Amino acid sequence: MSRATSAVACLAAVALTCCCACSAKESAAGASFKSATPGALRVATAFLPAPGFWEGRPPTRGFEAGLAIALAHKLGLERVEVVQVPFAQIVQGKLRGADIAISQLTPTDERKKHVDFSDAYLSSPPGVLLRNGVNAIDVHELQRLRWVVSSASTLTPTVTHRIRPDRDPIVVVDRSQALRVLREGRAEALLLDLPVALGLARAQPQLFHVAAQLDGEEDLAAALPRGSPNDEVVDTEIRALIADGTVSRLASHWLGKSAEEIPLILTEQS
Amino acid sequence: MTLATIQAPHGPVFEFLVLFSVILIGPVVFTRFRLPGLIGLLLGGFAIGPHGLGLIGAGNHTVPELGHLGLLYLMFVAGLELDLLVLRAYGRAAVLLGLLAFSIPFSAGLASGWALGWSLPAMCLLGALLSSHTLITYPTLRNAGFGGHPAVATAVGATVLTDVLALVVLAVVAGTQTGSGSPALIVGEIALGFVVLVVVGLLALPRAVDAFLRQFGGDRVTRYVVIVVALLLMSVLAEVFGIEGIVGAFFAGLALNRLVPNEGPSMERVEFFGAAVFVPVFVVSIGLLLDPAVMLTGETLGLAAIICAAALGGKAAACWLSGRILGFSRPENAAMYVLTVPQAAATLAVTLIGFEIGLFGTHVVNAVLVLILVTIVFAAVLAERVVKWLPSRAGHRPPLGAKVLVVAPVGGPSESAIRAATRLARPDGGHSDVLITCTPQDGRPDSATLRAVEQRLSRHGLDGHVRTDASDVGDALARSLLTADPSVVIVDDPAYNTTPIGVPVLVVRESGSPRVIFDDRDGLAAEIARRLA
Repeated sequence: MSRATSAVACLAAVALTCCCACSAKESAAGASFKSATPGALRVATAFLPAPGFWEGRPPTRGFEAGLAIALAHKLGLERVEVVQVPFAQIVQGKLRGADIAISQLTPTDERKKHVDFSDAYLSSPPGVLLRNGVNAIDVHELQRLRWVVSSASTLTPTVTHRIRPDRDPIVVVDRSQALRVLREGRAEALLLDLPVALGLARAQPQLFHVAAQLDGEEDLAAALPRGSPNDEVVDTEIRALIADGTVSRLASHWLGKSAEEIPLILTEQS
Repeated sequence: MTLATIQAPHGPVFEFLVLFSVILIGPVVFTRFRLPGLIGLLLGGFAIGPHGLGLIGAGNHTVPELGHLGLLYLMFVAGLELDLLVLRAYGRAAVLLGLLAFSIPFSAGLASGWALGWSLPAMCLLGALLSSHTLITYPTLRNAGFGGHPAVATAVGATVLTDVLALVVLAVVAGTQTGSGSPALIVGEIALGFVVLVVVGLLALPRAVDAFLRQFGGDRVTRYVVIVVALLLMSVLAEVFGIEGIVGAFFAGLALNRLVPNEGPSMERVEFFGAAVFVPVFVVSIGLLLDPAVMLTGETLGLAAIICAAALGGKAAACWLSGRILGFSRPENAAMYVLTVPQAAATLAVTLIGFEIGLFGTHVVNAVLVLILVTIVFAAVLAERVVKWLPSRAGHRPPLGAKVLVVAPVGGPSESAIRAATRLARPDGGHSDVLITCTPQDGRPDSATLRAVEQRLSRHGLDGHVRTDASDVGDALARSLLTADPSVVIVDDPAYNTTPIGVPVLVVRESGSPRVIFDDRDGLAAEIARRLA
């Protein structure tokens, strides 16, 4: 076997691969999506508008809006239909006929009893959202702040067990009320998923800033109805969107700062 | 401490405990049943993973990230262990088998993917994972004395080509799937990246690492860390050009191939950390993906059957065709087959990357895990039979510089002895051990003296063990010939004048050229003289 033959064979293999790899818009191995509405990805979300995540009327702007559009494109669907569903119903698996819920959801064991979570699309450690004019650089300074917590949030135990504020936090029902308390100045600090906090701080820089993140391995993921046949294809396409940089570009555009730019405050693990 | 502080174990320390318990127990249990330990790690990963007991949750980042490092390490060691001498000696045969063992399974993969209705990039990746192979059964054949057999050497050499081609396909597919520029630009970047990897990996890096090791390599920890830094540097360099890090890791292994001899102490450390930590963690991290609810479905098992048929059939066709052209016998064809059929390292690497970039779903990953289990078990069982079928190769000699033994007095080897060892070992990528002989009057050298000898060896670019033997040169050498099986011996004692059996001996003199004493039936004296000139 001559060198020339070997070289030609190698080049042929590479060239064939290049040709193959360049046709990028087909579905991946074994993937097919069964949509509830022909040609559309029907997406449930709870908070409209959600600064940085779902903005505009209709809500077509923001990180999760962009993610939904990119996902629909990957799945070969023409459009995205958004339905607003209360958060409590989404985590109970009641998606009102939507194919998928994209609503700043953190997978938990309890929620997994009602919905199937996709692969994570964004790392989401706890982020400390503060009113402008106050700051904190360590856990002792966090303890001195006036906190507001939401009884529906998975982060409330983090405030009570890991930060342990000097004063009892104000307890409200959901995130909307917590933000109202913060805006009105009755509290100074609110713990949110870091991307959510970044989106709020970017949308209202005159009111809020993100002072820190706490150590944690939480993520944001989409939810599908329990037993959905679309689990695998959604997982696959979300990984593809992460790999091709779409998720990074959306996060950079809509959430401003990245997690790497936010100082980390270590707390005692409960 | 009060009872209120007692709680269920959790956190990173608990996760590491679980992980290393699997690494400890999995292989032990499976090797007892004469099954490869790798399967114990895969199934152990499943047992502790989100689809098993849930001790390592789906959101855990630590194990997969450590596993990714293990993947780089695995590909690095694959490049490091390849015997480039064998590749050179059987180059034409290896190229033939390599091209066939790549192209036939690759075509079978393309055809299978097309039949399944996959996208073209996914088809190519399937072809790449089927065309690569891992020399899992090589130790079985090597330990049976067939390491230098033409069929075995051909298959070992072909591995370089098949794995490089598979990694090229992976790099191009992954690059075009993850890059943000035009396809032509991305392919151009990747081509440039390969040029840079070849230039840095095969020209600059070996020289830089060699110079660094000569200067600072006297310390064992430093030697190891330099090797790890080289591995990571090449991986990062590959990623800069949009090429998967494992390609860079493989090139790093090829780059350091000569500097880290296969039987030297540095290789022992590389293999130790690889076998104890990095590679098992990688395999366990793959096991985390194993989902019986997916694996035991008709869809997955059907897919597994197709890709098993493509892999087993493709490699069989390649070995049979190569054997016909090269004039090998059926046992020799079988030897090539058991070496080229096991799918493990590169297959796992390609599969994992296909999964991460969204080309493969969990069905494919689980089907590939079935493929790995089937091919490893099949090849391991067949290899035990093949070593009985192959005719014995008595009288086969290793390369001259493969294992140099320097026998030195209590003060350590002279500069001329070390220089001679370097010149003999380097061309063959071999290593040099030093045996210090001492009489009861001399007393055994202390550890500081031995460390000083190691550091002197290191400054000359040698990587070898230093041992002592409390007897005279003749007795010590006779024992070493039986136990260490050196390819050549350098005696640093001008008075030595005994002709040993079957191994060339150089007697180093204070001045003038060394005296060579042995029965030169193979004409090695001329080769020794050429290397020492």
